[in-house]
Amino acid sequence: MTFETFQFILASGLILGGLYALMAIGLSVVWTTLDVFNFAHGAFVALGAYIAWQVAQYGEGLWGFVFAAGVSVGLMFVLGFILHFCLIKPFEKRPNIVLLAVITTLAASVVIESLIQLVWGPREKQISPAVSGRIEVFGTGFVANDVVALAVALAALAALALFLRRTGTGRAMRAAAQNREAAEAMGFNVTVLYATALGIAAAAAALAGVFIGSLRFINPSFGADPLMKSLIVVIFGGVAKFTSPIYAAFILGVVEAFSIYFLGLYWSPAVLFGLMVVVLLVKPEGLFGHRRKTL
Amino acid sequence: MLQVTGLSGGYPPVSVFRDVDLTVGEDEAVGLFGPNGHGKSTLLSTVAGLLDPWRGEIRFDGRRLNAPGDMPARLSRHVNYDLFRPRRMRARHAVRAGLIYVMQGNRLFPEMTVDEVLGIAPKAAMGRAGVGEMYDLAHDLFPVLRRRRRSKIRYLSGGERQMVSIAVALLAVPRLLILDEPTLGLAPRLRLELAEAVGRIREAGTPLVLVDQNIEFLTGLVDRLHLFVNGTIAAEIDRTERPSHESIMTLMFGGAAR
Ligand SMILES: Nc1ncnc2c1ncn2[C@@H]1O[C@H](COP(=O)(O)OP(=O)(O)OP(=O)(O)O)[C@@H](O)[C@H]1O
Ligand SMILES: [Mg+2]
Repeated sequence: MTFETFQFILASGLILGGLYALMAIGLSVVWTTLDVFNFAHGAFVALGAYIAWQVAQYGEGLWGFVFAAGVSVGLMFVLGFILHFCLIKPFEKRPNIVLLAVITTLAASVVIESLIQLVWGPREKQISPAVSGRIEVFGTGFVANDVVALAVALAALAALALFLRRTGTGRAMRAAAQNREAAEAMGFNVTVLYATALGIAAAAAALAGVFIGSLRFINPSFGADPLMKSLIVVIFGGVAKFTSPIYAAFILGVVEAFSIYFLGLYWSPAVLFGLMVVVLLVKPEGLFGHRRKTL
Repeated sequence: MLQVTGLSGGYPPVSVFRDVDLTVGEDEAVGLFGPNGHGKSTLLSTVAGLLDPWRGEIRFDGRRLNAPGDMPARLSRHVNYDLFRPRRMRARHAVRAGLIYVMQGNRLFPEMTVDEVLGIAPKAAMGRAGVGEMYDLAHDLFPVLRRRRRSKIRYLSGGERQMVSIAVALLAVPRLLILDEPTLGLAPRLRLELAEAVGRIREAGTPLVLVDQNIEFLTGLVDRLHLFVNGTIAAEIDRTERPSHESIMTLMFGGAAR
């Protein structure tokens, strides 16, 4: 293997990692705040991509893409916010909420997938990339769109981290995630904060979906793969901190890129799952995890 | 100021307190004293809106805080779609009115720093003036807040955490402050320090509802003392008629104490 190939694989691994991080962060925000796993996350990714594709039909080039991504992210935030009241809020007080939420979010993902199929049909689509051509970074040529995807993913993660750590609403969200009762006693509208968490998760999923849609073809059920990858990331990395799924996502992205190169596309999921099993055997709370989960 | 009439509540389906009447006047401090596990904290959580009242009325400044009428019985064990069963009282409405509750043994937010927690606390003031003065008062009462400003809550000692809880409540500019066993489980020296802080909050003119296991501490601070036994208020004692240990025991346990 030449140094060039190595660089190339590493770079594509990092780009994958960026997308995985963006997807996984939505899952982990919901998991730490609402205490449930959102199985509709993959469908959010898919719907986000389709909305962007639709909007991108009306505009071209970079600004068309930016506009499409913005509309998709905004709409998905609203949808996530609303879905909290349909999928999770009604069952809040029940002791088996985790199981109920698995069922309701799975149901939502089926419904969303069918809606996509109904509206946009089963044919594969692709969003035209934000930028075309190649650019040179550190003396190596990359597909420009990949680099943009990674940069935007990192920027979005940084923005989310800043929001959670620095702004009043973000801090209130963390407070509500860590101790619901105390947050209520401080006068916060915990329901709205929880809905916002689901909205943010959906928005992050949509952003990931937009970039996936510009890197490869999408079809109505393509969300299943992102959902599985983000589940692996979250379980593999743990959710002790905001950053733990992010590190995990980059590790898994690079591992996947190398295993695709050396073992082929067919074996790479097995490698990822194998890695996850090994980590769970050694460290059940995840690679970067603590027993407690927080935002 | 606070008027509670005929209030009943608990953790469905378990009823914890029944027909409680409690009033707190302007500029008055009221104590609640009673054996462990008889429902003082449940009562106060209900008054603060964290639990739904079952029956009765909670008025603050003459405004009713809970939904009128009794809590309807559940349709069925299996129908629990909360969207159709709205809360009968909300903590944030109580907070907006100025009724601030410091929970017993509040864990607060383990992964947030003291500064972050104090940073979001003034939101509870909901625009009431005086956050600045309360900020100074809190830091004056508890210098430890400044010393440990960058520590996460989970690294604080029980006493320090209690101090942060009280500071958080002060930053909400309370018009009535409910303190649920602020000195619970603390070392004697810290206990004294907190008792003194509560005394100074009282002097600053904030009406109080105070729960404590230490009757000396209570009678030193409050104007009226309620004995809370078995989910109801069994007796009311004025501070002028300092009760003897004997009489309290009789009230609390009937004849069995002797
Ligand atoms: N979350 C809960 N769910 C169900 N029952 C509860 C819950 N919390 C408390 N209880 C029960 O309610 C009753 C009253 O408890 P509460 O904490 O209000 O008593 P308390 O008077 O405050 O006692 P203490 O002096 O020890 O603080 C107890 O029997 C307790 O077991
Ligand atoms: Mg108690």
